[in-house]
Amino acid sequence: MRALGLFLLLAGALSAQQQAPHGDLAADKVAERYIGDDKAIEAGHELYLSVCSGCHGPTAEGGRGPNLITARNARRASNEELFAMVKNGIPGTDMPPSPLPDDQVWQITAFVRNLSAPAFLQNVKGDPAAGKTIYYGKGGCNKCHMIRGEGGYLGPDLTNIGVSSNLATLREGVFEPNKRLTDGFRPVIVTLKDGKKIQGVAKNNSNYSIQVLENSGKLHLLDKNEVKEVFFREDSWMPSDYAQRLSEQEQNDLLAFLAKQAIRPPSKEKSE
Amino acid sequence: MRTVQTTLGARHAVPTLALLAALSIAPLTQAQVRYEDILAGPGENWLTFMGDYAANRHSPLDQITAENVKNVVPKWFFYVEGARRVGSYPVVYDGMMYVSNSNEVYALDAVSGRQVWHYRQEGVEMQRQNRGPAILGDRVFFVTSDCHLVALNRYNGGVVWDAEYADPEQGYHCTVAPVAIKDKIIVGVSGGDSGIRGFLEARNAEDGSQAWKLWTVPAKGEPGSEGWGPKTLDWGGAGTWMPGAYDPELNWLIWPTGNPWPDFYGGDRPGDNLYTDCLIAVDLDTGEMKWYFQFTPHDVWDWDAQEPPLLLDLTIKGKKRKVVVQANRNGFYYILDRKTGEFLHASPFVDKLTWAKGIDEKGRPILVPGMTPNAQGVEVCPTVRGAANWMSDAYNPETGLMYVMTLEACDVYTASAKDPKPMVGFAGTGGENPPGHTGRFLLRASSRRQASVSGNIR
Repeated sequence: MRALGLFLLLAGALSAQQQAPHGDLAADKVAERYIGDDKAIEAGHELYLSVCSGCHGPTAEGGRGPNLITARNARRASNEELFAMVKNGIPGTDMPPSPLPDDQVWQITAFVRNLSAPAFLQNVKGDPAAGKTIYYGKGGCNKCHMIRGEGGYLGPDLTNIGVSSNLATLREGVFEPNKRLTDGFRPVIVTLKDGKKIQGVAKNNSNYSIQVLENSGKLHLLDKNEVKEVFFREDSWMPSDYAQRLSEQEQNDLLAFLAKQAIRPPSKEKSE
Repeated sequence: MRTVQTTLGARHAVPTLALLAALSIAPLTQAQVRYEDILAGPGENWLTFMGDYAANRHSPLDQITAENVKNVVPKWFFYVEGARRVGSYPVVYDGMMYVSNSNEVYALDAVSGRQVWHYRQEGVEMQRQNRGPAILGDRVFFVTSDCHLVALNRYNGGVVWDAEYADPEQGYHCTVAPVAIKDKIIVGVSGGDSGIRGFLEARNAEDGSQAWKLWTVPAKGEPGSEGWGPKTLDWGGAGTWMPGAYDPELNWLIWPTGNPWPDFYGGDRPGDNLYTDCLIAVDLDTGEMKWYFQFTPHDVWDWDAQEPPLLLDLTIKGKKRKVVVQANRNGFYYILDRKTGEFLHASPFVDKLTWAKGIDEKGRPILVPGMTPNAQGVEVCPTVRGAANWMSDAYNPETGLMYVMTLEACDVYTASAKDPKPMVGFAGTGGENPPGHTGRFLLRASSRRQASVSGNIR
């Protein structure tokens, strides 16, 4: 109840700042003013921290309320539907209606929408060119990852990572690689019956066969009859100390570079 | 143990991170799919849509025989999630199988059926069926429904390049299985049933850049354009939605083209409508058209010539000839000289054939009057689906037989003189089975030993 109380308290304070109504503008025209707009997202972020974070968590990764980065109903909702959820609440749940003026509800909507938008469209505080230098140099990322056919085989291909991931997922993947191991990339050491060891990632595994890809690109299609032992490491082959090895600026630069990796660069209009 | 290996090249990176230093780095050997491998034809591998460049689709493997085929049982199933219809022919190389579906490719362990990687182009709303991937070097190639040719690393499914080669805003969609030859990837387009200007295109395998583009409908003023009309020339069809064959000695592609548009009403396209319903011979290096042969001039029954063109060496009237053979959708089986395109022979391969009395000495059909679709409907055989279609024909050099999937069926064809509007699904109406007549599929085999097919159908 504390969060709801804070919500209502703030709502009362903010209600004095109501702005002019939107008049006859069509809903999609209204949405265009906020969704993807840097200032609206930033303002929405501030409002979110004040009003929403009590339930949804300071990073929107959930708490009493759901994770807003991954929640299906938030991701799949149209801009107008998302706005309506924030403004009217969700009946039958603890999500209350908001007394905030529409302008501010739209700002929160813009912030929430941005959470799950492709990283390519999100605001990343970094320099992609500097990030590229880190990717191929200090970070050594290309030793295990490919972009447009260049690089190693152990990690996921990053050619389209700016579109296939949002910023939060991307950040987690780089700096907390052991939090969630991606299917097809489980680190494995296989010992064959002849004593030979194969180390790489398991592209697949069953009672009868296992398919292992080494970082060299050597792919082993193994029948379990040939295998003496399969050992899955708990930790990814990916180094987990980039947060320590890279300065905050370097981290942002690297994320900015990765966020720009797209096969078909999306436009903000298309993403809505 | 089956091991699949990459080559060590400029693109390869050796791990140097301390954490990865312990990982084994195996000595690498050549395992690239070369043009010569595809040229050699199928064996343990199946490297191109039709098995070999001659489109013979014959495997020399002999483990399955007429005696033991009754013992064949499924070893694995792979469920293609969300697929509406899987129309893909797998490519198999070095223990791996590559299968495509609309906007996606799966790489499977061919022995176990387990998935090694999956690539999906997200965000493409268009969902058309896909006829298969191609393979060359260490890459797998496929086309998306919205006409991007995509090159993937064949070990991890990573994208090497993605190149749009046709614009869906111009009516195109794409389903073709690309054909990899030397340093080029050949692709075609679909959409001829609602108006496109067809073309065949070669892209460079290395970077996806365009090598050449050959329009299959002439531009205004070009030879053949006189056989069209002002409403149809820019949207004439002649799609290139099935893979063609390739003659390595001539260095020519032998490629099929699709129907004219509007499919069933010819009033706005009064001539032959080149180069629809054709086989075209195309120089691989330049994209120059060397010859064409049109099976159904001024087609009003939607009889694309997309059936496989089999390249065979036959003895005809005592003379050895390099020919191309096609069991065409219009119900006739054709033999052409593949160096000149000269018409050598045609005969029917279905019983239900009413639109033409035969084929004259120049290869043109001798039309039966009254078979043009009209507003009231006209029953014509074969059906709009064709006496043959995209289904795979094959030729077995040991038996000397060519095998064709045939359809004995007729349709009531109707036509509309409505003003043709491209890209809205308008085809000038169509054909439907007469009530109670669904037709029969028959697998037929014909002998190559005589040029004449008549009487040799089993």
